[in-house]
Amino acid sequence: MTLHLARLSLVFAALCASTVAGIAHADAPSTGDLKQLSVEELMNIEVTSVARHPEKLLQAAAAIQVITQEQIRRSGATSLPEALRLADNLEVAQKNSHDWAISARGFNTALGNKLLVMIDGRTVYTPLYSGVFWDAQDYLLEDIDRIEVISGPGGTLWGANAVNGVINIITKSAADTKGLYAEAGGGNQLEEFGGARYGGTLGSIVDFRVYGKYFDRADELYTDGSRAPDSWHQERGGFRLDSQVSAQDALSLHGDFYDGHENVDTGGVGAGEAGGGNIVGHWTHVFSDESDLSLQSYYDRTHLVDPIAPVYLGGIFELAPAGFLRDDLTTLDTDFQHRFALGTRNHIVWGVGYRYTHDVVRNAPGIGFFPAVFNQSLYSAFVQDEFLLGHDWSATVGSKLEHNDYTGFEYEPNVRLEWSLATGQALWSAISRAVRTPSRIDRNFEQPVPPAPVLLEGSNSFGSEYVTAYELGYHGGLGSRVTGSVSTFYNVYSDVRSVSFTPATILPLYFQNNLEGHTWGMELSANYQVLENWSLHAGYNLLKENIRVKPGQFDLTNGLNETADPKHQFSIRSALNLPWRMNLDAALRWVDTLRTNNGALPGTVPSYFEVDTRLAWQATQGLELSVVGQNLLHAHHVEYGYPSPTTVQIQRSVYGKIAWRY
Amino acid sequence: MALLRPRVWLTWPCLWLVLAVLATGSGRALAAPSEYQVKAVFLFNFAQFVDWPAEAFPRPDAPFVIGILGQDPFGSQLDDVVRGETVNKRPLVVERYRSVEEIHNCNILFIGGNEGGHLDEILMALKGRSILTVGDADPAGQRGVMIQLVNENNRIRLRINVAAAKAGNLTISSKLLRPAEIVGAGEG
Repeated sequence: MTLHLARLSLVFAALCASTVAGIAHADAPSTGDLKQLSVEELMNIEVTSVARHPEKLLQAAAAIQVITQEQIRRSGATSLPEALRLADNLEVAQKNSHDWAISARGFNTALGNKLLVMIDGRTVYTPLYSGVFWDAQDYLLEDIDRIEVISGPGGTLWGANAVNGVINIITKSAADTKGLYAEAGGGNQLEEFGGARYGGTLGSIVDFRVYGKYFDRADELYTDGSRAPDSWHQERGGFRLDSQVSAQDALSLHGDFYDGHENVDTGGVGAGEAGGGNIVGHWTHVFSDESDLSLQSYYDRTHLVDPIAPVYLGGIFELAPAGFLRDDLTTLDTDFQHRFALGTRNHIVWGVGYRYTHDVVRNAPGIGFFPAVFNQSLYSAFVQDEFLLGHDWSATVGSKLEHNDYTGFEYEPNVRLEWSLATGQALWSAISRAVRTPSRIDRNFEQPVPPAPVLLEGSNSFGSEYVTAYELGYHGGLGSRVTGSVSTFYNVYSDVRSVSFTPATILPLYFQNNLEGHTWGMELSANYQVLENWSLHAGYNLLKENIRVKPGQFDLTNGLNETADPKHQFSIRSALNLPWRMNLDAALRWVDTLRTNNGALPGTVPSYFEVDTRLAWQATQGLELSVVGQNLLHAHHVEYGYPSPTTVQIQRSVYGKIAWRY
Repeated sequence: MALLRPRVWLTWPCLWLVLAVLATGSGRALAAPSEYQVKAVFLFNFAQFVDWPAEAFPRPDAPFVIGILGQDPFGSQLDDVVRGETVNKRPLVVERYRSVEEIHNCNILFIGGNEGGHLDEILMALKGRSILTVGDADPAGQRGVMIQLVNENNRIRLRINVAAAKAGNLTISSKLLRPAEIVGAGEG
């Protein structure tokens, strides 16, 4: 195994040395370039249907990777987390049938809180712990336009929580989803699924679509070989309306609703639920090529029922019985943005936002939040100026100012510098500061709930966590067949969450901000067009974490509890177009040993190799048949979790799918 | 704010150096252009790979006109593509029409997606004229538009209705026909 690994690393190192980069972002070719292409070449070039001025404010001078619709389809991904494995700059680990841990640049703990995720501009994190319930996020993957993944802070534009990364999931405009699409299939783990979309035009000015989907996933396995009762069923539906009401004005209105039932092993209290819905309105007005404004508002509700296991002291004495934690969250959010040119050199973007959340928790005996009903207001404003320094140098300077109810004002500035070397090639560097403001678990948490004796609780003195990130990166191409990017970072963290104990009584333990430290690493990504019908992609991540207890302070787990990350990970993907309208795709990934500490004592998840493949046949113009294998190398493997007999293993999965477009 | 450690400061300039050396390699990145940027280039290509009869031009020095009927999805991209270009020594110009009555001297006509509702009337009005009609609303190709630009999994495909082009006295080069899908052959 070791030898095998060494050989592979060598091959990979050679590949890196010879290419260096992988594409994530590059400038679109000019019309002059396109006019040089033959008709055949023009037909093979991939296009995006995005507007000319999308919200791509950070792209040039940041570590961004874009997952395209075609990559999602060809990967055989059946959920958003599976699709996110296509981003080299993310850590993606499946915990069980319905739960995932996803982060960028470390801190991928069970309560990971440093990644901001948005779906069509709607923030989807939970104020309970500032993380993402991935089992509540999904879409008809066919109708996703692209997923932009930025590793590194994005606080200046996106605010608190965009500490280590931002994921922007963008669905297609209704103008691009006309007609009928239907899919159905099933397999051993993904037992059954189906989905459909219909899109068209109403009264010649409004494009619309409606969609629905459902799936049933089977139980996984515990490490002791017994069945892990974590099967999952979910239904989801939604609509989208887009209208270009005038040459300058575009309106969009979309919404989704979903409901899911998932089994959890908690001593038999019953299944969990994750449901909700949202409605989003978006207006854009274009003044000119260099000036526009947009206004967006959304209303979002989530309903969560989480079975909570009994709490035992010393493994035998029951402090609290099993029960349900119920959480109903209502969010109202409005954002305004305006972009304009100041003189010939300055491009200004500024905006203001307001978010109101109304969170109602019904506590389980084992876990609770006090107060149970909690309203929060978040005010934010930002301004950013991108200006030309010379012929090929540009700089971006900006800051966000936020006010939250826990810690008051927070600011998140950044400075970015980009040097364009040649068409599509650039060196960039950035220094930015981002904030993770307290979530309800840090302040209002009790485990278990009184009158039971409390073991762990939140603290009113818990403050924000901070990072200052220093980044340096390159993106571009080498020759006409190789494109790539390399991003490096050095992050300095302060006031990271720790656990203290109460003097004299020891219990309850409570959260404090006693950790600090730094992380550094790099993200490499490279694309190689080997032949016209065959392309290869490679990605590699290095992450070194050094988080320690502040001098003179205390942390129960000695600085280990906030990180659970692989030091190295890499992937190689191949996309091959075969004759008779067939496609063959394969992806190999290797993830280094994962140290997890959520069990209070250090434990590890072993490193692993896995392979996904997809074979598809475009039988007729509209009909596509495919067979997908996921995690093929092992019958089952662990990706996440503190080692115990009841750690969940992810099983090999094979499914078939029929897709029909009309 | 914690201070950077000295050894990190040392590694950073080294990385800059390595990257600067690597970056001197030539080449261009292949980010995706927008759909209508590519479609605009296709319209420009049609001007070169289709033969118009001499009667299609009112004067020997008349410009070659690419027209857009209805909603214009190109923005300034089509104008950018044809700027400074000529076809058989004729300068290329872009015209925009709100209705079919405004069309006088036009060689290529792009029919915007929102005109789909009265496509039949438009084609009837243009019948017998040597205007290469181009559409991108999906069912258009089956209904007499000469060239259809179809977005198939983010790639632009051509569907050419040879019979309709022939009826307009237009000859389409094999350079276009070969990679295209031929539709409606043998009809009309």
